[in-house]
Amino acid sequence: MGDLLKDKVAVVTGSGRGIGRGIALKLADEGAKVVVNDLGGAVDGTGDSATPADEVVNEIKASGGEAVANYDSVTTMDGGENIIKTALDSFGKLDIVVAVAGILRDRMLFNMTEQEWDDVISVHLKGTFTVSKAASILFRQQRSGRIITFSSTSGLYGNSGQANYGAAKDGIAGFTRAVARDLGRYGVTVNSISPGANSRMTETVPQSARDIRASSGIQANSAVTPLELNRDPEDVAPMVAWLVSDEASEVNGHVFHCQGGQISLMSNPTEERTLRKNGRWSVEEIDAMFSGTIGMDMVNPAPPQAPRE
Amino acid sequence: MANYLDGKVAIVTGSGRGIGAGVAKALAGEGAKVIVNDIGAALDGEGLSNTPAEQVVDEIKSFGGEAVPDYTDISTMEGGESVVQTAVDTYGQLDIVVTVAGILRDRMIFNMTEEEWDDVVRVHLKGTFTVCKHAAILYRQQRSGRIVTFASESGLFGNTGQGNYAAAKSGIAGFTKVAAKDLGRYGVTANSICPRANTRMTQSVPDSARQLRADRPQDREATPKELAMHPDDIGPFVAYLSSDQAASINGQTFLVYDGVITKLSLPRRIRTIFKQGRWTTEELLEMVPQNLTQGLVNPSPPQAPRQ
Repeated sequence: MGDLLKDKVAVVTGSGRGIGRGIALKLADEGAKVVVNDLGGAVDGTGDSATPADEVVNEIKASGGEAVANYDSVTTMDGGENIIKTALDSFGKLDIVVAVAGILRDRMLFNMTEQEWDDVISVHLKGTFTVSKAASILFRQQRSGRIITFSSTSGLYGNSGQANYGAAKDGIAGFTRAVARDLGRYGVTVNSISPGANSRMTETVPQSARDIRASSGIQANSAVTPLELNRDPEDVAPMVAWLVSDEASEVNGHVFHCQGGQISLMSNPTEERTLRKNGRWSVEEIDAMFSGTIGMDMVNPAPPQAPRE
Repeated sequence: MANYLDGKVAIVTGSGRGIGAGVAKALAGEGAKVIVNDIGAALDGEGLSNTPAEQVVDEIKSFGGEAVPDYTDISTMEGGESVVQTAVDTYGQLDIVVTVAGILRDRMIFNMTEEEWDDVVRVHLKGTFTVCKHAAILYRQQRSGRIVTFASESGLFGNTGQGNYAAAKSGIAGFTKVAAKDLGRYGVTANSICPRANTRMTQSVPDSARQLRADRPQDREATPKELAMHPDDIGPFVAYLSSDQAASINGQTFLVYDGVITKLSLPRRIRTIFKQGRWTTEELLEMVPQNLTQGLVNPSPPQAPRQ
């Protein structure tokens, strides 16, 4: 066991399985006392079971760490508050919040139901808000604290069949950048991880969806690439442990991509090319100028295809 | 009147005032028939009035354009479906959807209520989904169509007191990138605009918040400059994106204000560390500060407590 997070108290939502579990184990291994929050639902959000959170708590205790289980849903304000309160009741304080809880309900936009949209936005985006808001009240008072949210390349770059998930995940990136500015002055940092990992969640992506992405050039090929094979969900945890430590007190408002042994700092969008005139453009002027200037080399990520016979 | 959009039918949500009104007028000015959708609410989402949408329709008609008002609340699935149905019932088709409708409820994260969160996310993000989803059903069948959504620099770069708005606006950017990939193969395009304009919405930002942002030089770039920035300046580029000339522009984000049109990049990996297998804490303690986070500026550095 290390001591990077000695005496810290952490909440990790969605930590009964996958990436969240890896983070709970790692934070505990570095000395943090951990609230292992997991509703124990299926990947589509249905059902609940105390087992996954309990199993992770047992695993942490078996290796000499401290942890308690919590089964609240992050999707309600009450749930978010209860999760934070569990940390205070069990360990007397809170230093770290890691919001991993998420579900997947992939569907092409034209077929996506209201339920599929609402459920994904509710668990990811509102679930990040409820816990972060409750924690931020404490963090502001104590003038310290760490929040780690989970974004995704599906949101940062867009991934076919994931309008709900892409909206939620890019929304979390935006939330992170705003809240970093709200809380930084109180000595709190807020950063986001865009993970690449093979977990129960990615396994639910149907082969048909992988094939569609491959045939439209969105993904290199439909087979799992060697890089994809090399991405254990536990690989995400070390960077999270670093970000929530005292070592990272100056790092605020950033997105990091973590996949296998690869860790990248992501940029915000940057201004690539600009058309500028004095006064208002006419459509005719834009039409004359665009393709030879800022429209140069612009690639359609999903070019039109002939209808299937 | 010009004719870039002759024979097209467009929906513009939130077009009773501000940027939306400018977009509706620009599309109509290029020959499109426009559904001017606006529930006529106050900026915080309260109250309803038919007047704003009707005024924009009158203005469009006064220069020889065609438009009808629509007062549907687009934040429900029924509302999104209804506004698309109105376009089909009134003009027999739909070619263009521009989603501008939005509200503002700024609050620091530690004080933000559930209602302030829910309302902003619902109007912006779900309101974009409800209209685009129903348009997408038609677009896929007819193998053509245009979607232009409204994101914001507040979401892309971050702005104090706007956790809800930034989440919604950045969420719209993510949504649009996915919609572009879902629909591109059907000849449809979906692009996003980050506008800067002085409107009723920006005027509601309290002076204290402006001062707070101005005090922090790192944030100045993300704060709209108080220049002319007329809301009507956004319309011409939206009209261009909605035209047949823009058929291959898909999945992009543009910053638009005054006479400026800027293509924004996707996020990039700007620094990377790599090893075979999992990093240890000891390795990261050495590698991260040296290679990943060196020189990063805290956008909101810690301050001493007020006395």
